[in-house]
Amino acid sequence: MKVGFEIHIQVNSARKLFCNCNPKNEDISHLEFRRRLRVSSSELGEIDPAAAFEIKKGLDIIYISGDKTSCLVEADEEPPHEPDPYSVEAAIKISNMLNAFVVDEIHFMRKIVVDGSNTSGFQRTAIVGLNGNFDFRGKNVRIQTVCLEEDAARLQEKGEGHSKYELKRLGIPLLEITTEPLEISSEEARALAESLGRTLKLTGLFARGLGTIRQDVNVSLEGGGIVEVKGVQKLEQVSKVIDFEEKRHKMLFEIAAKLKERGVNEDSFEIDPIDVSEIFKSYANPTVKKFFKDSAMALKAPGFKGLLSYETVPDSRIGLDLADICRLFGFKGIIHSDEILKYGFGNDILNQIEDRLKVTDNDAYVLVFGDKEKAALCLQMVKERLKMAIKGPVAETRYATDKGTTRYLRPRPGASRMYPETDIPTIKITKEMKDKFKIEIKSWEKAVEDFSCRYSINKEMAEQILDSDFIDFFENAAESFPNVPPTLIASLIVQVFIPYQNVGKNIEYDEFIKLIELFSKGSIAKEAVIDLARYMLEKGLSLDNALKEMNIEKLSVDDLRKIIQEKINEVLQENIEPTKLYGTLMGRVMSVVRGKIEGKIVDEEVRKALESLKKD
Amino acid sequence: MLLLEGFKSDCMEKIQDFSKIKFRIKDQVYEGIVMPRTLYEDEDHITVKLSNGYNIGIEKSKIEILKIEPQKAQSEVIQEKEFESHGPKILIIGTGGTISSKIDYRTGAVKPAFTASQIVDMVPEIKSIASINVKTIMNELSENMQPSNWTLMAKEVYNAFESGYEGIVIAHGTDTMHYSASALSFAIENPKGPVVFVGSQRSSDRPSSDAATNLLGAVTFAAKSYSPGVYVAMHASLDDDIIAIHKGVKVRKNHTSRRDAFKSINARPFAFVDIKKQEIRFTENKQEVKGSMRLYEKFSERAALLKFYPGISDRYLLSVFNKDLFDAIIIEGTGLGHVSRKAFPYLKDYIRNEGFIGMTSQCIWGSVRLTVYETGRDLLSIGVTPLEDMLSEVALVKSMWALGNGFNLKEIMPKNLRGEISERREVQ
Repeated sequence: MKVGFEIHIQVNSARKLFCNCNPKNEDISHLEFRRRLRVSSSELGEIDPAAAFEIKKGLDIIYISGDKTSCLVEADEEPPHEPDPYSVEAAIKISNMLNAFVVDEIHFMRKIVVDGSNTSGFQRTAIVGLNGNFDFRGKNVRIQTVCLEEDAARLQEKGEGHSKYELKRLGIPLLEITTEPLEISSEEARALAESLGRTLKLTGLFARGLGTIRQDVNVSLEGGGIVEVKGVQKLEQVSKVIDFEEKRHKMLFEIAAKLKERGVNEDSFEIDPIDVSEIFKSYANPTVKKFFKDSAMALKAPGFKGLLSYETVPDSRIGLDLADICRLFGFKGIIHSDEILKYGFGNDILNQIEDRLKVTDNDAYVLVFGDKEKAALCLQMVKERLKMAIKGPVAETRYATDKGTTRYLRPRPGASRMYPETDIPTIKITKEMKDKFKIEIKSWEKAVEDFSCRYSINKEMAEQILDSDFIDFFENAAESFPNVPPTLIASLIVQVFIPYQNVGKNIEYDEFIKLIELFSKGSIAKEAVIDLARYMLEKGLSLDNALKEMNIEKLSVDDLRKIIQEKINEVLQENIEPTKLYGTLMGRVMSVVRGKIEGKIVDEEVRKALESLKKD
Repeated sequence: MLLLEGFKSDCMEKIQDFSKIKFRIKDQVYEGIVMPRTLYEDEDHITVKLSNGYNIGIEKSKIEILKIEPQKAQSEVIQEKEFESHGPKILIIGTGGTISSKIDYRTGAVKPAFTASQIVDMVPEIKSIASINVKTIMNELSENMQPSNWTLMAKEVYNAFESGYEGIVIAHGTDTMHYSASALSFAIENPKGPVVFVGSQRSSDRPSSDAATNLLGAVTFAAKSYSPGVYVAMHASLDDDIIAIHKGVKVRKNHTSRRDAFKSINARPFAFVDIKKQEIRFTENKQEVKGSMRLYEKFSERAALLKFYPGISDRYLLSVFNKDLFDAIIIEGTGLGHVSRKAFPYLKDYIRNEGFIGMTSQCIWGSVRLTVYETGRDLLSIGVTPLEDMLSEVALVKSMWALGNGFNLKEIMPKNLRGEISERREVQ
């Protein structure tokens, strides 16, 4: 098995790559405008069928432009400005750091992208470094390219006949670092991604926080196509995704062998989708009505009986890929013969369909309900996909799910449609620049040690924070509130932020800075900080609302003494063993006052109270 | 096929563009295709397209060539596809603006693609709107256009109408499109159908280009409006849905780069074309044919445009208000149409020598009115002709046209011939 990475990481420049917008600004107002991207009919054939279909049908793209984070350049209403010097410098530094050959002239190219994520219909990208290397566990990992390019707009929603993109992210400078495919295990791959990611983070050249680093993973088995899995955001996903792909590819080889056994070859696919609306029209039962409105198309899947639902690992079956292809065209999914019995259409209908399609013992078939023209196009694409299965794993682009599985995204991109970006003159990189823009690879162990020393927190916590998206929060909070022990802030991140982020919760920095501030003023007890944070994320509340609900108010020492007296009276009634007295008392008192006063003070007062009790 | 192996880098001079090249730098071997250098790039570097499609620039001195294979030049075969189209006969005239182009991904070059089948390839919807023919009459960046180009365009349009075309679309660079539109508005009296100028602000090679929708809007209007006259068709806003059709004598390019750069001044756009719905919405009554078509294709270059400003030097005024050089001067005055009293002697002198002076305003919007302030009234008594709300560029072109065709400027300049003067300006 061979694995390769493409890491995309945002440069922490104050401006975007081709204009002077600062993506960190707060927008005051937003503007919307509608576009359609167009490609000539002759070129349309070379784009993947689903994208071509969307363009042909006139997919509306709605762009949202925030007034402070995007400008006429992002709206494709002004030519690009000269590239951000800080980003060019960063690209040279990283190329040097990775021992890559730095080109003498940077030529920006236009890479055609028609899904709407770039307003101009292309992404601007350039090679800065070639053929570098990275030391990983004694292995020399080849770095194929270091590219400087612009990030794409973020898809906000995709609906019936339209897509909405937000322009804040469009144009943010990215470095793309591509490794050569390596023969490594999934665990080694995860470690490599981690090591490379850490090395890049330590340079201080890149933005920090969620979404600032994304990786694509390429997986292939010998004799099979290369599958590109896009958007593997978390490191834990890397090894899961690779394991899943390895198993899925092996399964696809099995299926290819089975198809061969059954005598299926390229010629078996000289078939066309067939209109079976008539068959459904004659049945008015509720089950049929649930799916059939006015049109149904069917396609034979020669030799695929049992193979559409066959999977060696959950969610890897071909049937799922076919359903995903249909969704690209706007359908809810696809129904195939391996599972058709569970729908309850009745044997009559099924027999008629099988007759029309001339289905034999080893064949399967698929059904699509909906617009006839769309269905026909969609089934052509399904047919191509089935045909490719003869060869085993198909070269294509997929995306990673949270569970660590992958799903079909689009067919293998054709030869990259790239041509020079003539609005931007080539950038000369002189020997002086190459000599000047150099940085050393910093040691991760040393960085962890330095961080841990600087803030007096233990190394495990230090490492967790440095690996997380919350370094900025930590440093910000620690520096703004010097009377707050950094260990508390670290605990907040390690015990609360990281776990809650992993289950998809959104961490609102400002609310938690307010929380720390509250503690720093002495308004709440130390223990309350973690409890409150958990409560806020669990219930999705702001700090103020959480405070109200949790009824956390600071207790005075006098009130504490009253409570302690109460509890002592309770306890005295119960004949507790003297050695267990302290523990029991602490437990009862803490259950009432926890968070409202420092545990230390409670401890002190309880001991005092017990002392004076002994004297009596 | 000549293979050169192991040559030193000083033989780089002999390498042909598009040769396949294999070379070494430091310890790495690279393969690619040699790309042509542009006029603005130096000779010390070579551009190579790698197999992944990217171009890179490398100093010639660093390269150790391992292998070169010059490639035979690939002859450009334009596949002319047959197509059927229905509708009124429309002629699309090309003057050089690249409203339609094709990318050769092999070389990265963007080439014009201005034949009928290439246009239909770009905008297939045209097939059901009009029956089109395409003719290229010149190849000029619009900033290089001269009055002689306007004359050629006018003749072509006149002849096209005479030979049976029902509407005409002229593809033109946007920089001076409004000048050409004015020129043709005056040159052709009572055109037999719509003449629609069209351009694009974003180059037509990119998927986001406004070229296709602008062209679609222009052809739709030319074929379906039945409103003769000269117009400019460009985006109405940042959205791709609506194309504005501006009267040629009321429009100006008001932004360097935006799709909706062209705005009707002192008027609303004459009509809007909804591209999706294929509908035309007029904001005023359609124009009608008022007589037979006549061609006045001459333009004189003895007219000039002067933008007035505080501190304008005497020398400058002297050189412009010179009847030996110019028969007509259009002034872009300040405010309601004023200039400093300092300039009066030059104006007086020029008019005494039978020069014509027309007054417009550099405010762009609004109408000139010389009866309101003293300066204005003095200008009137000097003999300056107020041109109401005519755009200064339109006034300039009109004066060039009037001089070229022997009209009396004092009479014809303030007369509203083609709608270049609005009787009223709405509150908008």
